[in-house]
Amino acid sequence: MINLERKEKLRNQMIRLEAYNEIQNQMGRFTAAINYKEMKCMSFFSNEREDVSLEYADEGIFVGREAIQTFLSESIGKGYEEGELIDFQLTTPIIEVAKDVKSARAVWWSPGITSLAKENNNPQPIWLWGEVAVDFVYENGQWLILHLHYFRTVKCDYHKGWVEDTSMINRPNIPMHPLAQPTTYHNPYHSKAIRYGIPAAPYAYETEDGANWMLRNDKTK
Amino acid sequence: MITIEDLDVLEEDEFAELERRIETQIAIWEIKNLRGRMAIFHDDQHIGEPRLELKAIHHPSFDVEGEMNFRKTPVVDSLEGNMLIHPITTPIIEVNKDNSKARGLWWSIGIEGLSKFRETPMAIWSVGMIPGVHVKEKDGWKILSGMWQRTTKNEFHAGWVEDMQPTNTRPQISKEEDRARLGKYAYQKNEKRKSISQPPYPDTWEKYPDELDQTWQEMK
Repeated sequence: MINLERKEKLRNQMIRLEAYNEIQNQMGRFTAAINYKEMKCMSFFSNEREDVSLEYADEGIFVGREAIQTFLSESIGKGYEEGELIDFQLTTPIIEVAKDVKSARAVWWSPGITSLAKENNNPQPIWLWGEVAVDFVYENGQWLILHLHYFRTVKCDYHKGWVEDTSMINRPNIPMHPLAQPTTYHNPYHSKAIRYGIPAAPYAYETEDGANWMLRNDKTK
Repeated sequence: MITIEDLDVLEEDEFAELERRIETQIAIWEIKNLRGRMAIFHDDQHIGEPRLELKAIHHPSFDVEGEMNFRKTPVVDSLEGNMLIHPITTPIIEVNKDNSKARGLWWSIGIEGLSKFRETPMAIWSVGMIPGVHVKEKDGWKILSGMWQRTTKNEFHAGWVEDMQPTNTRPQISKEEDRARLGKYAYQKNEKRKSISQPPYPDTWEKYPDELDQTWQEMK
């Protein structure tokens, strides 16, 4: 017999199915905004959660909209210079919507390239491969980013390749951004380093409880 | 598991709304498959072999004669050594309310082998985007418009800063002609990158209801 419980279950299944595609659309639009160096990328972050965060490689974790906006504004806010290029792409989506359909966890593998402008010289072509792990929350009719962590795998000169050139895998030894909190995980490819399955693939879960699932396979913790 | 009896008791409007929402999700799935099939056809260039029609040739705007001429015109002497592998990534697909039209944007990262006159093939590495419009015809979703928009295409060892390969055509078009076509928004070391193509947003069909209107791809 059809009852409220079954109606609720059907509704949840429908929302989960729609979420699977809506989240890919949202993350694609976010990636487009980053690739085009547009500050509308901020519109994809949660407006309601104080713990909204962005962690990028070993630049630290930026918590709160103000910190994220500052970091992104300084990174991409000036738009393109001649010869610059950012091209992240998203593949291999693994998306899990919480049983309570209020949040979702996702991981993408991201191949990409960039060109770094050089004064009085040709731009430098660079490989840029990594993984993106994201917590989404449903706010006012759309899925928004609660936590985003970009895990760098490869950043190297295109011509030298990732085995020979490890000069860009870690940030230079200059002060961290004053708004950055300590990096939670950074293990880019290096010929002397060992790989781990991090970020972990999200599994089915009940309700949103933080971003620790991304580091589930971190054996140092 | 939902049974027929369960669906029997839904009100007419509840049932119709459920139908519409499920059809939207299936449309996104089918359009992803459609573009995947197109990517395979891109690599499989056997002229004249019968194949499933993927394009919206019944749409009144579609240039059927131009399309058929394009398909029967070889651009290499032999398929030996030629390859066009362009996996498509980053799908963003927005379907209109009655599930009859859809706009999409994909990225792509690809490798190619090019041998025009049976010479040793050139290894090519390329990155690009595919903005497209799709319509539902009697036998399913079809591609109305949207083709490759190059970001980079370079001889593998040279890299994209030093090299830009034009689209292979016969007769070969000049670099200037190529810039006006598929290379219009391609990376150039002496230029600033343009923010085209923009992805479709959920309100794309309210803002641009005409499927022939391509301005949805432009920065607003």
